[in-house]
Amino acid sequence: MTSSTARLAALSSLPNPVQRTLERMGLPGTDFADLTGPLGATPKDTLYAQGTLKLHHFRPQCESVYRVPVLIVTSLVNQPYILDLVPGQSMVEFLLRQGFDVYMIEWGRPRKAHQHLTLEDHVLNRLPACVQQVLQHSGERELSIIGYCVGGLLSVLWAALSAGAKGSKTRSPLTNLVCMATPVNSDGLESLKAWMGEDFDEEALLAEHGNVPAEWVQNALRALRPFGKVAGAMNLLNNADRQEVVRSNLRMGKWESDNIPFPGGVFRQMVNDFLRGNRLMQGNWQIGGQTVDLGAIRVPFLHLLAQDDHITPYASSRDLVQRVGSTDRQELILKGGHVGLVAGRGAEMRMWPALDAWLAPRSV
Amino acid sequence: MEQLDWNKLSPAHLWRDWIAKSEAQWSEAVSQLLKNEHTGEALNRQLSEIQLMHRQFSELAQASLAAANLPSRSDFEALDERMGRLEDGLAQVAAGLSQLSQSLVTARAATGTGVTASALRPLRNRKPASTAAKIRG
Repeated sequence: MTSSTARLAALSSLPNPVQRTLERMGLPGTDFADLTGPLGATPKDTLYAQGTLKLHHFRPQCESVYRVPVLIVTSLVNQPYILDLVPGQSMVEFLLRQGFDVYMIEWGRPRKAHQHLTLEDHVLNRLPACVQQVLQHSGERELSIIGYCVGGLLSVLWAALSAGAKGSKTRSPLTNLVCMATPVNSDGLESLKAWMGEDFDEEALLAEHGNVPAEWVQNALRALRPFGKVAGAMNLLNNADRQEVVRSNLRMGKWESDNIPFPGGVFRQMVNDFLRGNRLMQGNWQIGGQTVDLGAIRVPFLHLLAQDDHITPYASSRDLVQRVGSTDRQELILKGGHVGLVAGRGAEMRMWPALDAWLAPRSV
Repeated sequence: MEQLDWNKLSPAHLWRDWIAKSEAQWSEAVSQLLKNEHTGEALNRQLSEIQLMHRQFSELAQASLAAANLPSRSDFEALDERMGRLEDGLAQVAAGLSQLSQSLVTARAATGTGVTASALRPLRNRKPASTAAKIRG
């Protein structure tokens, strides 16, 4: 035996406190993937890809599904697997088991080459292309959309722009719109507005990086609840003997640290038009030369909100239900935070059943 | 009678509990500070300085790493770009294969060679439980 292999053998025979602690907690093995479980593992097929964008179709889990397919539009800055965390804790899996035919847009991780992608690219090109794919694949002429956070905003913009004038013959395929924690009024995003006011030099940031780096996105979101991490760590320590709490914490921790860079072009528009100009509320936000009129949305509409949402506070989201032109519209405020609204025990108990109860009768 | 959990009465546990419960107020206090325009200005000045320092450090580090024949951040970024393009290409191949298999199934179902479309695709006639109950009733 050489001296180096002998040293290695001696090292590996030393007691490993991490391993011992994990074993004592009933969590043998230090492999992170083993501890978190398979993230985003619900069986799916990729139907369409365009650049970094992928459109997934989740394999149905029932013998019969509702006629109207559901397209989930995820956020641009977070990984979509928050909606399909692990088996048993997945909104997607829940919808499949309730009999929905589920599709999901994954925007992907923009690279330097994608720094010029704008809201026009997303709202007038990429999203409509996915809608067409869903209609073609499902063989239906209508679909429902569920948008989460910035994904909800993109869905609202597309829904308003594709609705056409009242009484016009061109009919949008959208038949139901569900938004989850979707900001529309930047006056309610006080911290972000103060930070990214006139003094904020977004051009310098974009000149340096092209896209807004994922670390920036993460720090900006953390700054909205500065001591959130500390509280999370304290809760974890107090529940260290409860396996499921530890696992759940690891999953959320992995997701939270797995942000996606913000495409430069979209960021520029969001800072100037949405945050500073509050153009959506002013009624003068133009996307591709067309003015966005929320009143043009006339399909059944549901807005699901979280009571303690620090990312999309109620002040930034409450106007949406009032501004849409739908006669069938509803707002539901549920217990929990921005992430707890869609994932975790609270979501399983409150939000998912509420979503199913609203969407199912409108999907036949 | 429920057994008393002595662990929950330990000072460390109580202290952690207190921190977790008072987090919302602390975060709110800092958030109020962030909402102030002057804080925003100061923060932006600091960020610009950090940005400048970051750029200078990156240039210096890149030169030193190149001299030592080691890959720098920009080399990794270039690699990431290439890997990303490969990943995008693979996704397009996967999407193409998925569409091809879908067309094959449809064609086989149409020619009646053993596969029916309904056997592979669920029927789209589901009704919500309450509606189904009403129909049965």
